[in-house]
Amino acid sequence: MNREDFLERVRSAIKVSELPPIPEAPPGGLVPDLPRAGVTERFLEQVEAVDGHTHLVGSDDEAVHLIGVLLEQYGATDYLAWAPDHLPVAGLAERLRATPLDAVVPGDAEGRLEHQTGYTDLLVGITGASAGLAESGSIVLEAGPGRPRMASLIPLVHIALLRERDITQSLSHWIADHAEAAADTSNLFIITGPSRTADIEQTLNLGVHGPKHLHVVVLGG
Amino acid sequence: MPKVQLFVTCLVDSFFPEVGEAVVAVLERHGCTVEFPFDQTCCGQPAFNVGYHDQARAMAEHTIKVLDGTDGTIVVPSGSCADMMINHSPELFQPDDPIHAAAARVARRVKEFSSFLVDDLGITDAGASCEGRTATYHPSCHGFRNLGIRQQPETLLDNVAGLERVELPDAETCCGFGGLFSVEMPELSASIMSTKLTNVEASGADLLVGVDVSCLMHLAGGLRRRSREIEVKHIAEVLAEETRT
Amino acid sequence: MNVPVTFVERAHRGIGNRSTAAGEVGARRMMSHRIAASADYPAMEEMRDQARRIRLYALGHLDELLARFSDEVEGAGGHVHFAADADEAIAYIRKVAEETNVRRIVKSKSMVTEEIHLNAALEAHDLEVVETDLGEFIIQLSGDTPSHIIAPVMHKTRQDVGELFSEKLGIEYTDDPTELNNVARHHLREIFLSADMGISGCNVAIAESGSIVLVTNEGNGRLTTSAPRIHVAVMGMERIVPTLSDAAVILEVLARSATGQRLSVYTNIVTGARRPGDPDGPEEFHVVILDNGRSRVLAGDAAEVLACIRCGACLNVCPVYREAGGHAYGFTYSGPIGAVITPSLMGLAEWHDLPYASSLCGACLDACPVRIDLPGLLLKLRRDAVSEGLGPDGLEGALKWFTRLATNPGMWRGATRAGGWSAKLIARQGWIKSLPGRGSAWTDYRDLPAPAAKPFHARWKERQRES
Repeated sequence: MNREDFLERVRSAIKVSELPPIPEAPPGGLVPDLPRAGVTERFLEQVEAVDGHTHLVGSDDEAVHLIGVLLEQYGATDYLAWAPDHLPVAGLAERLRATPLDAVVPGDAEGRLEHQTGYTDLLVGITGASAGLAESGSIVLEAGPGRPRMASLIPLVHIALLRERDITQSLSHWIADHAEAAADTSNLFIITGPSRTADIEQTLNLGVHGPKHLHVVVLGG
Repeated sequence: MPKVQLFVTCLVDSFFPEVGEAVVAVLERHGCTVEFPFDQTCCGQPAFNVGYHDQARAMAEHTIKVLDGTDGTIVVPSGSCADMMINHSPELFQPDDPIHAAAARVARRVKEFSSFLVDDLGITDAGASCEGRTATYHPSCHGFRNLGIRQQPETLLDNVAGLERVELPDAETCCGFGGLFSVEMPELSASIMSTKLTNVEASGADLLVGVDVSCLMHLAGGLRRRSREIEVKHIAEVLAEETRT
Repeated sequence: MNVPVTFVERAHRGIGNRSTAAGEVGARRMMSHRIAASADYPAMEEMRDQARRIRLYALGHLDELLARFSDEVEGAGGHVHFAADADEAIAYIRKVAEETNVRRIVKSKSMVTEEIHLNAALEAHDLEVVETDLGEFIIQLSGDTPSHIIAPVMHKTRQDVGELFSEKLGIEYTDDPTELNNVARHHLREIFLSADMGISGCNVAIAESGSIVLVTNEGNGRLTTSAPRIHVAVMGMERIVPTLSDAAVILEVLARSATGQRLSVYTNIVTGARRPGDPDGPEEFHVVILDNGRSRVLAGDAAEVLACIRCGACLNVCPVYREAGGHAYGFTYSGPIGAVITPSLMGLAEWHDLPYASSLCGACLDACPVRIDLPGLLLKLRRDAVSEGLGPDGLEGALKWFTRLATNPGMWRGATRAGGWSAKLIARQGWIKSLPGRGSAWTDYRDLPAPAAKPFHARWKERQRES
């Protein structure tokens, strides 16, 4: 059906519809009253509550060391990461023993297939994050140049680096301050804990498609 | 002395007249003058709930005409029928139909029995006693969800001397009666009832109390097929028992 | 696609069986998660009110919002197809698949594609379609249909899944959910990374940016929309809200109502395809906006049902759903929302018994995050069924007789007294254990109290005489 006919059919349906009273003005968002103070503590607590791991570090050095330990612990010799200028820790790639993988997927079908198939057994992905949401224990990520989607999606372990100052109260708070965020990127996503399913007898299982382990590294100060 | 009109409901009239007598006894004990509009029959809910609006409208119109000429609160010993009269009867008539206005007048005067005692008369202790019994209360859905009736009957039961009230597990789940649903989909109705009766048994009560005889007759009929240890009563019957002096 | 049985017949297959029992346990658990999550969130009630306002606003301005949405999708380099019905949606997706040499398709969980039976239609044209949500994957392997809007295999036990995987995937039998999960992850991983097209549904569409929002817990939604080179989103036309801020309100109540989570693990907001400079993501983005009966629903008196955000909370609290099981509803949508939406979308002629599959207890209205008056809509559909001559069999005559009595007080009193007398013949100690004919629908399951020998009105009259 062409667009105009389709929309005309909708328009005439609305005219005779017996909907309950419809608000005249667009209702818009609603920001719940949640305190700003103590967001870091609440965030750390809540990430743990959704089965994520949290690490509060005081310096870049501490962060680099921690990530090195994590890579070793998971036995990763390479990793998929966001570009250095999108990570809040300087010089990470130079100082890690493991090697970063090429994140750019070719545009043609065959190249794409070959490149992505290479991700099959990927162990670790490292990303930044635009925000932390204390109330739900979530991190907000925006894909874009230098920020591959796959780094937070394909590997068994996702390490996200977040500045403490980017932690806010809740999803509604962040969106109230970033009303254009959806239009600004092809993929805005909010991650709340590691991948999980409860499809089989409501038994919780982590890592069904996405990462099984989520480490959120908060850079304090 | 508040004058009240008793709309006794069709089920009480034909199956449970003793519930009607208990309602009258409790109301009179608390200083009400009770009148009974003699031509009353059925509010029309059975037809309304299965979509037969013509029949529901005819019965609602009859009920409204019988009640509109009277004065005082219309006391109904059923949350479900009260809900019908308050929330649905008016909408069966076009706004310009004079019956619509009459239905709205009647709706404003209708009050379920236990909530009339507590909310309107301010009675929380009806002066009843029921020594050595353990009761549990089932909040029937329409009264509970549409009219907010739960705390009133529970308060009244809590203040019956000698009666211990225990919570009914999963109390807010339907008993499966659902009016004609009970005979249109009887196996489902009975299956839901069975879960409710298991909860009634688990409560440890020897007395099941409610404010709707419809759900209660379904539950009592089901209980008779599994155990005879638990008695089923409308709240008015409990409150009418053995007045303390 | 009607199953040639009635709701009651399908329900009878479900009552008391192992699948329904498993489903009931799951439904109750999800219900308690919702209640806990709501109690834990002080803003829940005002968020629900706001979510309701947003959904109603969107329905009242649906034409404008869809026009804006469509412009924005195209502005972001995407393609929009308006599909009047299932056939048009399927034809478009097939055309895209053909033009872009698609062989293998992965899907993330989507009720709307179930509604249009998309998988079968694509498979009929030699396309490989793989469901990737673990539950939907199990459904697909077993040739079953979902029994719950958000937990499709709630009716299956771990043993069922173990047997299925062992038979279809050639693994050694295990009923350990963690092992079964790992098997599925490995099996699906390669399929994901080599798929040509990903087909998703759409939980919410955002008009101002032309975005679609998908929520999943497993990550298959993000994989479906990121790994294959073509992404096609199929959305029911009513899924839309005006802005990202409006979408946030829906998201704040959606997961809480569905699973009791504050947010689902992955809230995935997609705006167009991969952009210049993006290292990954699909090369093409298509949105199919589906009517398929929705404009007829919108024009009718059950239009409010289109405010639904598909959380499944009404299923979990419904005593009928819990006892009958989701398959009793005979179509994609089950529970109270299914009892309203299926006859609304597909017509009462075929589905007139669904609105009667409820005791009208109202638990669904309490649970609904956007406060859809489901009991009220069921009552409207029952009225419509009766006015189209599709009321329950054999009820009309009895109701007409009852109405005649109830509108003639003298006859009423005569009949109640007669009832009392005749009951004496069959009652024992005030109870009737067995009735013939239609009465057996009562007495097959419970005793019936005998009508009183002296009805209340007669006792009242006596009392008046005495005083």
